Amino acid sequence: MDDEVYSFALKNTLDEIQNICPDIKNSFMFKEDGEIVAQDENTPQNVIVHLTDSFDSILEKADAIGGIEGVTLDGSKGKVTISCMNDIYLVTVTSRKADMTYVNTVTHVLIPTILRLLDKINPTPLKNKTPPFEVETETPITKEPEEQTETPIEENLMEAPEETLETETLPSERPVNQLIIENLGGLLVPSDTVRIDSEMLSQWKEFSDSTKIDQVEIETFDGKTTRCKVKPIKDSKYEGKGIIQMPEKIQLNLEVRKGELVRVKPLVH
Amino acid sequence: MARKKKTVQEIATVTEPLTVEESHVNNLREKLEEIKTYEGVIGYILRNSTSAAIDLKDPTKLIDYAILSSSALDAGEVLSEDFNLGDVKSIIVDGKDVKMLSLTVSDNRISVFMDKEANCERVLRKLHGL
Repeated sequence: MDDEVYSFALKNTLDEIQNICPDIKNSFMFKEDGEIVAQDENTPQNVIVHLTDSFDSILEKADAIGGIEGVTLDGSKGKVTISCMNDIYLVTVTSRKADMTYVNTVTHVLIPTILRLLDKINPTPLKNKTPPFEVETETPITKEPEEQTETPIEENLMEAPEETLETETLPSERPVNQLIIENLGGLLVPSDTVRIDSEMLSQWKEFSDSTKIDQVEIETFDGKTTRCKVKPIKDSKYEGKGIIQMPEKIQLNLEVRKGELVRVKPLVH
Repeated sequence: MARKKKTVQEIATVTEPLTVEESHVNNLREKLEEIKTYEGVIGYILRNSTSAAIDLKDPTKLIDYAILSSSALDAGEVLSEDFNLGDVKSIIVDGKDVKMLSLTVSDNRISVFMDKEANCERVLRKLHGL
């Protein structure tokens, strides 16, 4: 069972929970690294990304209270509840009149049961502790027949057992990563260059057997694309978080803004 | 004559809110001091644009708690806007060791830190009862 089936099972569970608790307006699940595991149809992607970003800012400082088990935000029109279950965070947004005892009973019984069940069927997907950019790598290319692969990189990658996703990926295909936009500004910042994780750049280099990756193609979810230069992220606080630092000019061209997701591919020469 | 009258009015409008604000902060502080005596409460942070009052049993955690408090309140505003939740009444961050209750009362950002088993509702009632 792969991640897709896993997410499908969890999405169905969320849908069923919303059916029996109509006061739940939104629900979705994400991992600590920000990867969205399952989501309902009501919640836009950018809102989820916003929430995971905000949650991350709390999580980063939560060592002082021994880590986070849950967060409850009580507003005048409704409530957001984030609960940690088996290393996954479940978010439920409920209306003001929701019976929280009922909602909590349903979610805190159903979700852990489903997670346990899925874990029994196949323990790998949610226990997989890969960095966000590897997890977010689009997988369809892994289903290509093996004879289409070019051998040199395939052999190289086979030597690294922990990178199972990549061993099955066609080297001729470019890896695609979904990254979250972060602003990049300053006087000396070139307006045609984005910054992404240095580890991701190294992986792309390794992947494509290229000596240097200095350009990327960025695609928005609206289908707008652009090509620009790329350099590694300098600010350590953005490393390993699936972030792409993007100057305002590129954001304007692509009609995107901070917090939104874009697809990024390396341009190999 | 008319000018003099205007001056008096202006002074009145400037001084009155300050007095109200001051007494409001003092009132909050009193409430927080009382809350601190509640079972399981380990401290509080009260901050506004001009002053801050911090009282924690373990002062070594002061900076960590202050940053966490600020992050939670900021995140609360963002989430409330994203999900159209209206005014944020409170944010409770359940840690594995400590629980933090944060809220904003008239521009005063308050965070109360307590043991996991402490009664959050009682604290909330006290603060919202201002």
